[in-house]
Amino acid sequence: MTELILKSLNINNFRSIRGQMHAPLDAKVVLVHGENGAGKTSLLSAVELALTGKVQSLEHADRNYGKQLLHRSASQGDVLVRTMAGTLEQRFEVTLTAAGAKSVTALDKQRATFFRERVFLPQSLLSQLLQIYQDSGNDVTSPLALFVAELLGLDRLDAIEAGLKPLADVRNVRKIVDGWLGAENEKSRLDLLLTDQRKRRDELIGQIRSEINEIEKLCTLLNLPVEVREETLDEVAAVLSDDTDSKDFDLLTDHRRRLSSIRREIDAAQIAINSEAAITPESADEARKAYGRWETEYGDIVSALRRRAEALLPDVSLPSDPEKFSDAALARLRMEKNQLSERTSQVRADIARRASAKDELDVALRRRKTIDDEASRLASNAGSLGSALSELTSFITDETCPVCDRNFTEVSKVPLNEHVHSKVQKLSASAERLLVIGRTRSEVQVAIERLNREIEMINARSPEEETLAQLDRRLASVEDLINELMVIAEALREGGRLRAADIAARRAVSDIQARHVSLASASDTLNDFALSIGAPALGEGDSFEIASARLDALLAVQAAHLEERLSMRRKGGDHIATLRSNVARRNEADQRISADFASAQRVEQALERAQTLRNQGNMIRGTVDKVRSAIIRKEFNDRLNRVWRDLFVRLAPGEPFVPAFRIPESSTQKLQPKLITENRKDGNAGGTPGAMLSAGNLNTAALTLFIALHLSVPEELPWLILDDPVQSMDDIHIAQFAALLRTLSKEHKRQVVIAVHDRQLFEYLRLELSPAFPDDSLLTLELSRGPHRDSVCVSKRFSFKQETALFSVA
Amino acid sequence: MSGSPVVGAVQERLRDVGYRDLSTPFKVAGVEFAFTGAMRGCAGRALDLVLLIDTTTGDFGDRDGGRVRQKVEALSRALDVTGSRYVVTVILAGAVLAEGIDALSDTCRVLHVENVKLNDDGKLADENAKLQLDDRIRVLLPLTLPEPLAQTEGGAGPAMDQFVRALPADKNDALVDAVIDASSAGAQAVTDVVALIINDVFPPELRREQS
Repeated sequence: MTELILKSLNINNFRSIRGQMHAPLDAKVVLVHGENGAGKTSLLSAVELALTGKVQSLEHADRNYGKQLLHRSASQGDVLVRTMAGTLEQRFEVTLTAAGAKSVTALDKQRATFFRERVFLPQSLLSQLLQIYQDSGNDVTSPLALFVAELLGLDRLDAIEAGLKPLADVRNVRKIVDGWLGAENEKSRLDLLLTDQRKRRDELIGQIRSEINEIEKLCTLLNLPVEVREETLDEVAAVLSDDTDSKDFDLLTDHRRRLSSIRREIDAAQIAINSEAAITPESADEARKAYGRWETEYGDIVSALRRRAEALLPDVSLPSDPEKFSDAALARLRMEKNQLSERTSQVRADIARRASAKDELDVALRRRKTIDDEASRLASNAGSLGSALSELTSFITDETCPVCDRNFTEVSKVPLNEHVHSKVQKLSASAERLLVIGRTRSEVQVAIERLNREIEMINARSPEEETLAQLDRRLASVEDLINELMVIAEALREGGRLRAADIAARRAVSDIQARHVSLASASDTLNDFALSIGAPALGEGDSFEIASARLDALLAVQAAHLEERLSMRRKGGDHIATLRSNVARRNEADQRISADFASAQRVEQALERAQTLRNQGNMIRGTVDKVRSAIIRKEFNDRLNRVWRDLFVRLAPGEPFVPAFRIPESSTQKLQPKLITENRKDGNAGGTPGAMLSAGNLNTAALTLFIALHLSVPEELPWLILDDPVQSMDDIHIAQFAALLRTLSKEHKRQVVIAVHDRQLFEYLRLELSPAFPDDSLLTLELSRGPHRDSVCVSKRFSFKQETALFSVA
Repeated sequence: MSGSPVVGAVQERLRDVGYRDLSTPFKVAGVEFAFTGAMRGCAGRALDLVLLIDTTTGDFGDRDGGRVRQKVEALSRALDVTGSRYVVTVILAGAVLAEGIDALSDTCRVLHVENVKLNDDGKLADENAKLQLDDRIRVLLPLTLPEPLAQTEGGAGPAMDQFVRALPADKNDALVDAVIDASSAGAQAVTDVVALIINDVFPPELRREQS
């Protein structure tokens, strides 16, 4: 790449420079000299303004410095800087008006920044430089941070470091990684679930084991030759549910039922025999004889009575048993007697009533006649005439009749008005009477009709005296018969009883005979039964009770045994059912456990993978941290501090303390280097530069820091522009400084522009910076101005000249 | 020439960095000057004339400050007369009075080398001694800058390069690549891409919606 060099500067009315000025700059070193106020600073500021569009030192002093840029005697001006890269020329231009500067073309932002930060050291900045860097803090826009960024380009590492930071804390990981928390929750859920399920399964296994033990025990008790395992459950179930015992038991139950029925029969027979033992054939004979005697005594009487009763009650059949006959006949006869009594008294009442009713009718008829007579005397229209007249009274005002218009006084002394009133009263009284009579007449009429009907009814019943006599006769014969029956009622009852005893005795005898037969057959049955159930036959002396009790006990023992077996089988069956259900539940639990375990493992594996990634991320971050920390440390120690030290020692070889940046061991994210001094001899740290260095050396420290910074960063612009940096430097330093400038120019190819006000120093530098080889070059610019003339810049170019002064003494 | 070991060490150091010995005595403007040693730089330092004074054991009046000054001033004037642009640097090896140095400084650059540890062979004793010597004459030595950080392909920068090299072999390449890719877009992009990669290992049903 061809070096970019400053070629020339044209100034027109800028700051303290009045009028036009042209300054060539196309040399390796440009030395600017002028007395104070001659315009050195203006000249260098003009370069800055043209290249960057700003003047930073003025900006620090006054934010509105733009208005002071134009020379105060001029109305317009401009600054033009030309640069050369090979044959390519570039123009950087600013026009000036009273309002301020307007940049026409300038460096791009990055280069402009580089120019401001690393190329141009204004005089005012020199004294502040150390302070600025000392106070820089850790702001990303602080000069030191900018320097580090510029130097190292760590922003991407910073991004990685900051971006991976959340991985350090799992809480932040949960926030940024959606699945993390979900997985953790799922895992703890599954773990809990698994613990639960395993516990349940263990319980089930325990239950299964105890069930198997139970079944084994039962099988042993039942004497069933079967091995009890989970796999042989069907077999065991089949063996347990074998129905031989149940069949046996059914048979046994049958036996017992039969035995008990046999026993019932025997008992019944024996009880009957015992209770009827009193009835014997002899007593039966006696009953027959007693009944025969009663027959002969009362038989005729009873038959006679029966005939009479049958005659009186033709439509009734009477029982043959004498006692019952008497009861039935008496009942019927009494009923007949009551009916007859009622009828006779009815007929008598009718006859009496007919006579009195006829009398009452006669009275009623007479009263009706009296009423009719009175009614015929009363006008039937009395009511309506009365009301008509009462209406007429309102028209009667004097004695003149309103109907006939005759004076009433002619007829009577009573006033007409009064006459009419009394007439009305009379008429209304008649009307009332008519009403009462009418009501009474209809009552009388009703009574007449009722009496007529009653008489007719009684007539219809034809209550004749003859009928009454017949009824009386019949009643008397009924009563006679009743009396006779009552008399022999006792005898009849006795006859009935005798007859019944006779019949009962005969029946009892035949019953006993039948019982004896059945008892004998029961004994046989019992014997057969005993043989059939395998028990010994009935002994000769055995009573039924003992034999059957023996059989019963035998059967009961068998039954108890079978029942126990059956109950054990049932229990076995129950156990098998429980066992099966437990096995099924255990298998289900196994399945669920294995499924959940698989999910848990999946989640766990995912978490492990995620954790691995997180570890990787943390590892990356750690690496970034380490690398960046190493880089920063290295860059500061190996580059900046080393260069700074080198430069500082060049200028102040006798100073035991050299300035340096110290980076604290911790915290690389926040870059907080401190300015310190180090003892050159032993490397021990001293205080801050301000505390340890003289004013001259402090200046030297600042100047060398600036140059060190310039040299440490990648070279954007190969220029160094220094505005009178040696104002308070010792002479000895000046000599060294000259050598340094030469080194920068000749060895490091920096185009150096430096302004000095000291004549001696100017001369000295001119000598020291003289071209040392062909192609080397030096320009001096001498500025002057007078109060009434334009500023003048006299340039002088020095080129290489072979040195011939030195001859060795041969 | 058997001179003082300190002078010898200085000469050797200067020779290392391209200074050539001048035979002495030499003549300037017809005047002869004799010094314990004289050297001249080359290339950019071609105008450097270095004179060595052994204030302890030297001849040619080296041990007398006044005479040294006279001699240097005479040389300076002679150079002026011939219009020479040589820049004279005097190296005083050994103890010297401060005012002597000050007086000399008016006419030339003065470097003072003293208390440099030498071993029995007259060589610099150790690195520290070498550093001390260098510090004394540093202005004559070239300024060596550390290697600039090399830019790497893709503009990742040397730092990124170092970082990639520093990663252990068992790194997760996909993750590293993604992180490096995202780093140019800032910290949030890095966080996002890492979160995404980690999230991908979880079964979909576990990834809840970010509220």
